[in-house]
Amino acid sequence: MKLFVCVKHVPDSAAHIAIIDHIRIDENISFLLNPYDEHALTEAVRIREMNPGSEVIAVCLGKADAEKTLRSAMAMGADRGILIKTDKRHDSIETALALKTAIEQDGSPALIFTGKESIDDQGMQTLFRLGALFDFPAATNVVRLDIVSGKAVTDTEFSGGVVSTYEMSLPCVIGAGKRLNTPKYPTVRDVMRSRKSPIQAFEFSDLNMETPKARMEVIELIPYIQKRQPKEITGSPSEIAQKIVEILKNEAKVL
Amino acid sequence: MTRKYDAIIIGAGVIGAPIAYELSKMGYKTLTVDKLADAGEGSTAGSCAIVRAHYSTADGVAMAYEGFKYWLDWENYLDHVKDEKGLARYMNTGSLLLKSQGHDWKKVKKNYNEIGVKYKELTVEEIKTMVPVADLHEFWPVRRPEDPTFYDEPTKMLEGAIFCPEGGYVNDPTLSAHNIMRAAEAKGATFMFNAEVVDIRTKDGRTAGITLKDGTQIDAPIVVNVGGPHSFKINKMAPGVWEGCNIKTKSLRHEVMYCPSPDGYDYLNDGYHMSDGDVGCYVRPEVGNTFLIGSEDPACDPKEWVDPDDFYAGKGGLGRDNVLTEAQWQAQCFRFGKRVPDLPVPNQPKGVVDLYDCSDDWIPVYDKSDLPGFYMAVGTSGNQYKNAPVVGRMMAELIDACEKGLDHDKEPFQYKFKYITRSTNVGFFSRKRQINRNSSFSVNG
Amino acid sequence: MTKHVGVIPELDGRGLKEADMGMITLARQKDTHLFALVLDGSDETLKEKLSSYGVSTLVDIRLAGDLQHNPEVRAKAVIGAVKKFGISAVFGLSTARGKDLLPRIAALLESPLVMDCFNVDLEANIAETSRYSGKTLAKIKVTGPVPIFGIRPNAKEPVREPVSAKIIQFDAGAIASTQLRVVKTGETGKGSKISLAEAEIIISGGRGMKNGENFTQLFQCAEKLNAAVGASRVAVDSGWVPYALQVGQTGEKVSPKVYIACGISGSIQHFAGMKTSGMVIAINLDTAAPIMSNCDYYAVADALEVVPELTKLLEKSACVT
Repeated sequence: MKLFVCVKHVPDSAAHIAIIDHIRIDENISFLLNPYDEHALTEAVRIREMNPGSEVIAVCLGKADAEKTLRSAMAMGADRGILIKTDKRHDSIETALALKTAIEQDGSPALIFTGKESIDDQGMQTLFRLGALFDFPAATNVVRLDIVSGKAVTDTEFSGGVVSTYEMSLPCVIGAGKRLNTPKYPTVRDVMRSRKSPIQAFEFSDLNMETPKARMEVIELIPYIQKRQPKEITGSPSEIAQKIVEILKNEAKVL
Repeated sequence: MTRKYDAIIIGAGVIGAPIAYELSKMGYKTLTVDKLADAGEGSTAGSCAIVRAHYSTADGVAMAYEGFKYWLDWENYLDHVKDEKGLARYMNTGSLLLKSQGHDWKKVKKNYNEIGVKYKELTVEEIKTMVPVADLHEFWPVRRPEDPTFYDEPTKMLEGAIFCPEGGYVNDPTLSAHNIMRAAEAKGATFMFNAEVVDIRTKDGRTAGITLKDGTQIDAPIVVNVGGPHSFKINKMAPGVWEGCNIKTKSLRHEVMYCPSPDGYDYLNDGYHMSDGDVGCYVRPEVGNTFLIGSEDPACDPKEWVDPDDFYAGKGGLGRDNVLTEAQWQAQCFRFGKRVPDLPVPNQPKGVVDLYDCSDDWIPVYDKSDLPGFYMAVGTSGNQYKNAPVVGRMMAELIDACEKGLDHDKEPFQYKFKYITRSTNVGFFSRKRQINRNSSFSVNG
Repeated sequence: MTKHVGVIPELDGRGLKEADMGMITLARQKDTHLFALVLDGSDETLKEKLSSYGVSTLVDIRLAGDLQHNPEVRAKAVIGAVKKFGISAVFGLSTARGKDLLPRIAALLESPLVMDCFNVDLEANIAETSRYSGKTLAKIKVTGPVPIFGIRPNAKEPVREPVSAKIIQFDAGAIASTQLRVVKTGETGKGSKISLAEAEIIISGGRGMKNGENFTQLFQCAEKLNAAVGASRVAVDSGWVPYALQVGQTGEKVSPKVYIACGISGSIQHFAGMKTSGMVIAINLDTAAPIMSNCDYYAVADALEVVPELTKLLEKSACVT
């Protein structure tokens, strides 16, 4: 079984994001494996352990430096990596197409794993686009996965603790949610063991893809400035609570 | 508007607060000013607050051992003051110093004998029973993971360790400074926050007071610089002070990492503080059953000297603004991961970035200055937290003696310890000293 | 030329939600004809309500009974309606359900899709959303057929604009989903435990909570708020709550839309973990606590008195609406 895991090289969520020329970020910050992809990898490794002879292949579209993210993926258990090198930032449409082309070149997938979203672009769609391109079923925010008699049985979690159980034919695309598993972080031993694991790297242009007709293009980035101007809420405890509810409802719009 | 005090202390961290406390006890009317909002919020908060006795000089060992006694006797030291935030707790874990080429442990042993520090020498087998997760091979020299030889298989075993049953850490360094502030207030001290000093004023060749950023002038014939990473900037505000120091200070960026303990190992409750020169790390337990991994600043690591104002303002991109660098995360965690091969290293760095107020020889400057009435407790280099209560008392006595006419530069003040029977020559910490070649030139002091 | 714009309201047990009306208000732009693509049954009441927000045509999409909850089938049915009515843009909600539906439609239509939008300019085809965990706002230009926009719930205040409306039945036909089958849908049990990293609202406790038992107040309130509970280092260090709840430099780093700090002084280390939060509300007895001067709202009060009141109010409001 070939188990592909699509991973993304993203800025550390703790990093300070500075915007250059209103359009891109200063990339001189720490990049790492997208946190949701850690769950995807952990799950793929679990499936591999249950299916002897299987292989976990991490696939990444990113800058040359994304090799580090593939190394992290391999330290977490991927057997090898595929790096599609690009200096551009691609939208989900092109990303899905590139991943699909690269996966197809490598072989037939039994399962494809991704994180349910990336923490940088938060597009939440690449996994579905991959599914559509392959004509595989797909599920997002998966919090449970079982392979039962040739089918994938998954739980997708919605808000309020509601869960839908889907049964999908194989191959399929699994968008991992945070509650799917607890990632097992690599030890130095794992890092050493995977140091020599192979990474097949090639240029994005080598994929010879047609440019998709549809595009999503970032035309401007604006820093979200938080200059907090504290305002006092006064009154008795119940009056304060009342005002907080109003603020949550009317201003923060979260109720 | 001017207000008048006997002494102004600049900096309400864990060194400034005890100086205020001790001076107040001696009858000085003190004011402590700090640019931040509360006591211990500056680089004190980033301290690992480790309490251990191994230093490369006998004076260093003596002071640390004396400091240990204060932490044991914390409530008494505070004169049973009430702090609404509760009291900081000293956690005694015991302290392991691995015998390695990374530490001059023979010198430490000699110093222990001289001062009377309790210790035991351990074999590798004995260490293994205490720290079952440890791999006790020798990994020397300390390298960076970018270096291909970093991953070379070790061939030799370490020699053993020196174990001090007395050692550990303080669970909340910020709170400890807050405790001392409350104790000082009980003795009449005043603390002022959100107050940034921009000038040291003089009159007739003597300290006259400070000026705050908002223009407020406060008068006092004595001003003590305990500005931590900002100390060199404050020294430069006082005429002739910076120039009169042979030993200078500057601020050094330093990262401390947090890694979860391996599965099945309760480091928080069963672990020891450990100084491991062989891999260039020191560790102590932290809440959440994590290893707090500090660096002993091996020569192969880059040293980043920064402007403290820029650093705390989060300027400068990579690594600033309390963001760990990926390269250093891997360096420290992977180094320690050799010692504990089951240590999980998360992909996302987690830890603390703060500044050391670092002196030229990594030994602090506790001294007067060339400006009468201006004193300094600076250059604490990441290793003086444990000594804070001792320093408070020593500085107060030094200030008092100098104000009463002692020429400390000529006849150095001799400080008599409270707990251990010994005096120390405060001239050892002089700003005029030559660089101390006995120093480890690292956080080890 | 009038644009046919589809809106997909997300009905709950009680019908149209406030968020739907905001989404429709945002979709209602110059020269648009709004089609509501309704998947879960329509009636006159729904038509009245939708038409008062500018929906001219209610497309009552009929699905074969047992496939009604199948997201693949739903996506294909919407696509059928889009084609049938010449719809050139689709609006939906960026909710958990929306995240399982809108990307499916976009993937099958090969359309551009922007999720979590808080503004859309249909003429310029530009959507505004956030990137990098809320640290930046991004303007996204979409090109291609039938762009789809997932609107952040409550990003837009609903504004009424009554029009006359009609209901059109649309039979989606036989859509067989052989690839995905819904086995069941249900509650996981005792409420949802939202992770700190993902919560939209975090209610956090510190020294002012005084003990571990008092954290129950926060958990109860969080359940009503659909929030996660966080804690400062002191609360964890004192053993009141587990380390997994710690927010700060050495705990979780979070960016919720609202962070409610109860009895937390707001040390630099705590801020390092939550400073990117959208709105910060502080409840603290200590007026000098750093958080009181670095928040959006503060109340000088005992959190232990305010939080139970808050829970009570939220319980009440849940019954009314």
